[in-house]
Amino acid sequence: MIELLAITDDPAPTAAPVRIVPAGGLGLVVEPAPHGELDADALWRRESLLEELMRERAVLPVRLGTRLEDAAAAAEAIAPRRAELAAALERVRGAVELSVRAAAAGAPAGADGFAATAEAAHARLAAHARASARHEGPELLRAAYLVDRGDVDGFVVTVRDLQHEHPGLSLLCTGPWPPYSFTEGPAR
Amino acid sequence: MNGKVLAGPLDGDLDPFARPMPNLSNALSRRIDADPESVEQGLAQLVLTIVELLRQLMERQALRRIDGGGLTEEQVERLGATFMALDQRMEELREQFGLTAEDLNLDLGPLGRLL
Amino acid sequence: MSSAGAIAERDVALVDLVDRLLGGGVVIAGDITLSVADVDLVHVSLRALVSSVEKARPQQP
Repeated sequence: MIELLAITDDPAPTAAPVRIVPAGGLGLVVEPAPHGELDADALWRRESLLEELMRERAVLPVRLGTRLEDAAAAAEAIAPRRAELAAALERVRGAVELSVRAAAAGAPAGADGFAATAEAAHARLAAHARASARHEGPELLRAAYLVDRGDVDGFVVTVRDLQHEHPGLSLLCTGPWPPYSFTEGPAR
Repeated sequence: MNGKVLAGPLDGDLDPFARPMPNLSNALSRRIDADPESVEQGLAQLVLTIVELLRQLMERQALRRIDGGGLTEEQVERLGATFMALDQRMEELREQFGLTAEDLNLDLGPLGRLL
Repeated sequence: MSSAGAIAERDVALVDLVDRLLGGGVVIAGDITLSVADVDLVHVSLRALVSSVEKARPQQP
């Protein structure tokens, strides 16, 4: 059994044990399905792998735990969505995902009074990104931003500016990540 | 592992953002463990999942037929009553095997969630 | 940075990573693996099942 890790626009091979299976112009990034319980190290190892690929190719990460019988089954599963995936790869090419979470400083996440500030922060950050997506979570704000590689520094400066302007709001920005939140079409 | 934190709170307190890691096993491609002590429950989960899938497919098809017109009032009523009865029966079966609706709620990817 | 600070940073980054791994990314139709005593025995592809059920249903006008 294999695990499908990601989809790329480039079928050229990469270092073992990861294989890239060519499928209609796309490349399916697969490895032998891991056994046993997952731990943090395994997740970080997988993350490094995708970041390495992202240096040279457009990459769409696949949800954790996606397992198929073999390369042929993977190619078959992808075939009907080839055009949609190719379009998604174009949308993320040259960009990375940055995560931002906001909580009320010194208070449990979700305290009232800061909702409007969090909204304003999100709007300002979204203006620096190609696209943005808000997620469910206990924080006042939990969002992902698709940022051009060249704009990452400017984005981080904006986060720091917001932090100084609103000391009551705790902001956390992490990244860069593969574009996990931007694999679907624009209607997300 | 290189640092992923690009910007953090002024007071350096990351506690509001820390959280225990969820159990990853549950999130992976669904594994139905038919272990020797509870083979019946594992198999029941698989069977009920497939039954639920088929029930949903039938219900969707019935709705398409109803919306499309061409059915008598009596037929529409019978379809409605049948699916209500099926729904109830599914609930009884789930209870019998100690399964929740969530246990059968599989993520079918592009097809959406089952329930 | 202190080692405690580095651990805290790694912990919060892990939260962001896990959120993405479980809630993001491309989703291929779910599969079921039937296993006994940790041995994978039967692999059921729901996508194949759904499409075969849809095809088997007689076409209605």
